[in-house]
Amino acid sequence: MLSYLLFIATIGGIYGLLALSLNLIWGGVGMVNLGLAGFFAVGAYASALLTTIGHAPIPAGWLMALVAGGFAGLVVTLSTTRLREDYLAIVTLGFAEAVRLIASNEIWLTRGTDGISGIPGPWKRALGPDFNAVYFLIVVLALLVVFFLMRRIDRSPYGRALRAIREDAQVAQVAGKPVLRFKTEAFVLSAAIAGLAGALYGHFTSYIAPDMFLPLITVYIFLAVASGGTGRPAGALVGAYMVMTLLESSRFFVEWIPGVTAVQRAALKELLIAVALIVVLRLKPSGILPERMPPAPRPS
Amino acid sequence: MTTIRIGRRAALAAGVAALASPAVVRAQADPIKLATLTPLTGAGGPYGPVMAKAAASVVEEVNKAGGVLGRRVVLVSEDDQTNPEAAVRAARKLIDVDKVSAIMGTWASSVTTAVAPLCWESKTFLCTVSGADSITLLPHQGFLIRTQPNSKLQVTRVGEFILSLGAKKAFTMIPQTPFTQSTFDILNQVLPKGGCTHQSLIYDDKKTTYRTEVDQALRTSPDVILANGYTPDTVVLLKDLYRAGFKGKVLGFAYSINQKLVDQVGQPEVVEGVYTFAPSPAEGSSAFEKAKAASGSANPDPYTCQVYDHINLVLMAMANGKAATGEAIKENIRKATVSGGKIVDNAVDGIKEIMAGGKVDYAGASGPCDFDEKGDILDCKFRYDQIKAGKFTLVKIA
Repeated sequence: MLSYLLFIATIGGIYGLLALSLNLIWGGVGMVNLGLAGFFAVGAYASALLTTIGHAPIPAGWLMALVAGGFAGLVVTLSTTRLREDYLAIVTLGFAEAVRLIASNEIWLTRGTDGISGIPGPWKRALGPDFNAVYFLIVVLALLVVFFLMRRIDRSPYGRALRAIREDAQVAQVAGKPVLRFKTEAFVLSAAIAGLAGALYGHFTSYIAPDMFLPLITVYIFLAVASGGTGRPAGALVGAYMVMTLLESSRFFVEWIPGVTAVQRAALKELLIAVALIVVLRLKPSGILPERMPPAPRPS
Repeated sequence: MTTIRIGRRAALAAGVAALASPAVVRAQADPIKLATLTPLTGAGGPYGPVMAKAAASVVEEVNKAGGVLGRRVVLVSEDDQTNPEAAVRAARKLIDVDKVSAIMGTWASSVTTAVAPLCWESKTFLCTVSGADSITLLPHQGFLIRTQPNSKLQVTRVGEFILSLGAKKAFTMIPQTPFTQSTFDILNQVLPKGGCTHQSLIYDDKKTTYRTEVDQALRTSPDVILANGYTPDTVVLLKDLYRAGFKGKVLGFAYSINQKLVDQVGQPEVVEGVYTFAPSPAEGSSAFEKAKAASGSANPDPYTCQVYDHINLVLMAMANGKAATGEAIKENIRKATVSGGKIVDNAVDGIKEIMAGGKVDYAGASGPCDFDEKGDILDCKFRYDQIKAGKFTLVKIA
């Protein structure tokens, strides 16, 4: 049971990183990034390829994932500078699909739909059954670093400028804020975090395949951020763990319902998750931990 | 001091009581746990539920006959959602919480590849119906068998069948899957030997129309088209081929061109004359009849027959190994098909024979169930059908 809980807590932590990434760009700057799964995949593949084919050490893989994710983010923002809202959302969705199609068709690089197996985990052989516990700590460490960075941004003048852009980009521009630079920086940082999450995922489960990066994962993270509280890092984190808890606890819940077949149980499980999320958003429309607007500093 | 003595006495009393109680009570106290991990939702949704049901019926029969090794068997069914990410979480739960000794019925190749490392690391036995060649090449240390013939064997037979249709120009339309490249390689070897040229294209299986792909294929004026996708995309593809006025022969795997596809297409003329091909269950065998009853289906598909065999093999392996661990299943899975043993078609008879000290030779619903050292099935029959007036009619089993 313990190793299962550790496994779920680790995957929850990786979802948490994705939620923090989405919260920065969606909650912070108000840019809808439906391509989260794409950046997740870019990071996972970058690290997996560097450590399996390139035989590089695992930390180098993680660093590569940050760089690759960030670079993909840069390409996407710079090629969409004139798009906003729905149009940006459509392009990012297309980006994620393009990444998945490249991963399944460029077999020489990504081994296609076979996926990459045998991705090394840190000290996996030496640790044996303790691997899950150690990896959990690594993910928690990464999560804490990113969380405090996000909170620092959230409370800094920089974060205030991002929020100003979210509320009204034109006003921010008039007030002398370089909107494009802010947007690009935030998007690159957000994409880099998603890339890191992908790398952490790949080295944990030792196998990645294009089918793992379906838009479903983006939907889960949007649910997490929306129900946890858009625009507040702690809310994103709480939301991610809440979604993971719902996904997993519903398994045990439906086992107690007598007289239903396996198929009905699978359907009930999905239904339960949906109902729970609707209830949360009905009772707390702005999420469990809603955004707090710090008062503007007094002019000195 | 006193407390300790009472503790010992209580423990002794409990132990005596347990031994004295009928076997049924003991069996219920400490059940053997096994699992199916089949696709109940997602692309494999048409197959998984029947597979899980067949396995559950076998377990029920075995429990009625007193279980295995004097213990009751509990079958846990999880949904792999035809998605490796979800499957890994479900498998982790089966291994760590339920502590099952075997997982059976993983369907999609990507799911099997994702779940396999968890299984061999935790010494849990894995039985799969996935076809990708790469699966049995994983370092699984013997903790994996598959009852599905690998794609090399399957595609070679497809190629031979295309030649037997008198094809001179064959064209393959296939989405990107773990067996796409090997399909091309094998067909490019087999077809030219029979004087048939071969061309191919890869399509995206999530598109809603294949008009451009069909045009591209028809430009080469093929006389046989191999439609090698899954059910949802093949529905669209067959309609587009019909609309484009293709007059040649169409051939596909029975896992995608099935009764559900015919129903979804809704126009009999679209699917008229289409050939289908599948690894054949051992139709007419007594185990096949048993699998029919277990699945509650008059015509169980190959995967259901294979899962019927998985659960029977695993139960008999535990009886042979006198233990219910994954390790014991691994060591004894091949002892359920010893040539010269008593021929059985279900685990109840098999376990009885093994417990009486005999050897068994299980003749399965999907075939003879003999495995090589990598875990691949050695022999399998194939079945060829043709759709005539909306009905599947048998061409041959060979």
